[in-house]
Amino acid sequence: MTPHFTEDDLTLYYYGEGRRRHDIERHLESCAGCAATYREIAATLAMIAAPEVPERGDQYGLDIWQRIRHKLPEQEPSAWAALAGLFRPGRLAFAAAAAMLVLAAFTAGRVWPRLPDGAPANSAPQTTAASVASSANADSRQRILLTSVADHLDRSERVLTDIMNAPRGDISTEQRWAVDLLDTSRLYRQDAVDAGEGSVASVLDELERSLMEIVNSPSKISAADLEQIRRRIDAAALLFKVRVMSDELRQREQAPDRSTPRSSTSTRITS
Amino acid sequence: MDATEAAAVLARARQGDSDAFRALVEKHSRSVFRLAFRMTGNEQDAEDVVQESFLRAYRQLGRFESRANFGTWLYRIVANCSVDLMRSKQARHDQVRGDSLDAGAMELPAVNVPGPERMAESAEIERRVQDALQELSPLERAAFTLRHYEGRSIDEISSTLGLGTSAAKHSVFRAVKKLRLALAPLRSQES
Repeated sequence: MTPHFTEDDLTLYYYGEGRRRHDIERHLESCAGCAATYREIAATLAMIAAPEVPERGDQYGLDIWQRIRHKLPEQEPSAWAALAGLFRPGRLAFAAAAAMLVLAAFTAGRVWPRLPDGAPANSAPQTTAASVASSANADSRQRILLTSVADHLDRSERVLTDIMNAPRGDISTEQRWAVDLLDTSRLYRQDAVDAGEGSVASVLDELERSLMEIVNSPSKISAADLEQIRRRIDAAALLFKVRVMSDELRQREQAPDRSTPRSSTSTRITS
Repeated sequence: MDATEAAAVLARARQGDSDAFRALVEKHSRSVFRLAFRMTGNEQDAEDVVQESFLRAYRQLGRFESRANFGTWLYRIVANCSVDLMRSKQARHDQVRGDSLDAGAMELPAVNVPGPERMAESAEIERRVQDALQELSPLERAAFTLRHYEGRSIDEISSTLGLGTSAAKHSVFRAVKKLRLALAPLRSQES
């Protein structure tokens, strides 16, 4: 007689899977113990009939479309598109310029006559090229931050708008979006602080608090609790701040001097 | 919509054409709802999964390889959205349960064993089965649904849920073990 089979083997056998089906079949004919176990597994699984799925009419697809059409997010670029983006002529020129500057800085450092020890630290000529390269890198980082934060603010604006206009007391969809946004928001806030973008960090901080409140509320929220969240968003003028900050960042992306925050707007929206 | 037309619609949707995406939504909504309902066992949750799945699909369309089958790709998204929703519900449920325990509000569930006549009723069996399914972890429930209701092989479950074959197999095994245990009283009533 073949050795006994495990319950897992018998489960796979029930579902028509597993490698030793023929062996199991023969074994079940001769082993009362395994046959009893198999009967028990089969009887249990036979009890579990597929639930009857509620009917959805022909218009269901259209109904779903109506519900999601205003919530469509931005499409993520394909891996190829992202890769191709790295090699766009503008970026290549920028990368080449940055590489040249780094090379110039390195060469200057190697060939520039060294000052004797103890000489005054008048080293401006030596560091000029390096400073330019470093500044180019910083500008590039700043630009990426601006774009990313602006996108993030746009996505957040959609969640906040949904919350402000939610027709019923179920905010589970908005909560799932908010969970994703919350983690990203924290990272961007830290980046903004590191980059000296105080006004951006401040708006992200306020946004984070609202997202946290949305995430931590019950998904089947009472009308009163939902109203309270809305009042707090209103009181902080958060939607307005998010929109203004997003616009400002977009403008700075286009502006020649991207790294300088426009103090007038920033002051206005953080006050 | 024939294959050529479907490919053209998909290509336009991948370029951000929302009308083309609308055609995909209209075509696939009912099958998406069916899977979502089987996965979650709840109509409202299934509706949420349908919406979230299409939004996720739209966002990720750029990553979709045009050679692949859109239905299969969407099926995977729906299965994973269902798991995510069940996980978040379970986390909230655990939190609420934890709070009740902290507050000393623990109560033993009432032992409610119906008589043989009532047990024989299929509605009661269905309720018991649903209760037992609710006790599975999200992954166990998803793997079991795909295997038992959807007739997917272990390899297909593994690919749909992004698990290793062994993990997919063991999720099904654990689900079956828990269900056998939970439904044992029903079996003894039947025998």
